Amino acid sequence: MKLKLFVDRLSQPCRAILIFCKMNEIEFEEVRIELSKGEQLSPEFKEINPMQKVPAMKVDERFRLFESHAILRFLAGAFPGVADHWYPADLFKRAEIDSVLDWHHANLRHGSAGLVFHSKLARLSGRPLDLRAAADCEKVLSASLAKIESVWLKEEGQFLLGNSKPSIADLSLVCETMQLEALDEKVRKRLLDPHGKVRKWMDDTRNATQPYFDEIHGVLFQVKDKLKEMESDE
Amino acid sequence: MKLKVFADRGSQPSRAVLIFCKANGIEFEEVQIQLAKGEHKSPEYEAINPMKQVPAIEVDGKFRLFESHAILRFLATAFPGIAEHWYPADVFKRAQIDSALDWHHSTIRRGSVGVVLNTTLAPLFGQPLDPQAAAEAEKLLSASLAKIESFWLKGDGPFLLGNSEPSIADLRLVCEIMQLELVDEKLQKRILDPYAKVRKWVEDTRKAIQPHFDEIHVAFFQMKEMIKKALAGAGSGETKTG
Repeated sequence: MKLKLFVDRLSQPCRAILIFCKMNEIEFEEVRIELSKGEQLSPEFKEINPMQKVPAMKVDERFRLFESHAILRFLAGAFPGVADHWYPADLFKRAEIDSVLDWHHANLRHGSAGLVFHSKLARLSGRPLDLRAAADCEKVLSASLAKIESVWLKEEGQFLLGNSKPSIADLSLVCETMQLEALDEKVRKRLLDPHGKVRKWMDDTRNATQPYFDEIHGVLFQVKDKLKEMESDE
Repeated sequence: MKLKVFADRGSQPSRAVLIFCKANGIEFEEVQIQLAKGEHKSPEYEAINPMKQVPAIEVDGKFRLFESHAILRFLATAFPGIAEHWYPADVFKRAQIDSALDWHHSTIRRGSVGVVLNTTLAPLFGQPLDPQAAAEAEKLLSASLAKIESFWLKGDGPFLLGNSEPSIADLRLVCEIMQLELVDEKLQKRILDPYAKVRKWVEDTRKAIQPHFDEIHVAFFQMKEMIKKALAGAGSGETKTG
């Protein structure tokens, strides 16, 4: 199967898919869609994903798919040699991972992506900041981090649901929390300091997916520097 | 497998799970968790679902699961005799249904909940109505319905993704759209009139899953009448301004 991934490495769900493919030696062509230049709004990309968002995927020039969790489930099921722990065949274990992936949308994703976009990243595409929306999202983010700390991370196992190896849920959620690197250090510390298990889980997931995790996240750290420049220019 | 379903028939995702079980002959015990009475906040229910939301399921007194999409996927694959069209084994077809279910969270779900809460239900929770939040939610909901009209309903069959039989995505999304019955008729028409394919798809999904679809919605329609009376009695409720 010839796989094309339409991605921007600044996008959390895009990073999760890229890391997953590299970890599982799934060959693909990376087609860069630069969000800060509005490339997701082109008519050509609309043919790939009518929702005009990244990530999107194309297989053998005919099967198109969008929504990162659907893509991760598809890749785990359609490619040979993907280790079971990513998306287990056991229906009970699989259902628990589905539960985290579903919970993520209105919780960690909504809170984290909203806070970072409305307080920082909007600048990159020349959009205004919206600090009221950012404050609303921060509330959701804090509540979500608390839920990861108290519900999703257990006493045993390093990963979500007490698993001893990472699943696609760990990858998706940790790539989301990494976006907090775009915030001021003080704000980021305030959000993460109360949650020791969350911080350890982020490190464990990162360690389990090296060197690809750091390689794919490189662009995020470059953007952090660019934002600092933009802010000191004002 | 002994199945318990913790549900409130006023809740869209709860109805989807109940209808799925009935339509597929899955035996279960329904445990009512009445949201209006705060039963989801009890310590007993928190032990079932620490997120304190419905629906949730419990299998054989020991495996617990929440999030309606995860529950629907689990039921479709763990129980025998479930017709293929609900959640096909083919990885490509399955991926498309996963895509619709994932898309749903931040589009139809968020928009519909926002509209219903901020135009109608808020006073029942002691909150003022919020026209600004309602307008934002309506904008999101309309844009999302337009996407169902123009993209998700493309193809030969009457169901999402051009399928000729309903999947768990059809069931879940249509249960969500049914919640608009709680808002006043003028607003319902304004939201749904522009989308003829959507309205036909809602009817086709209902028809394909009778009598279970209507049976599970009986309590919902009773709730609609009770809410009308409760809101009329309490006056039109405060409205948030500014």
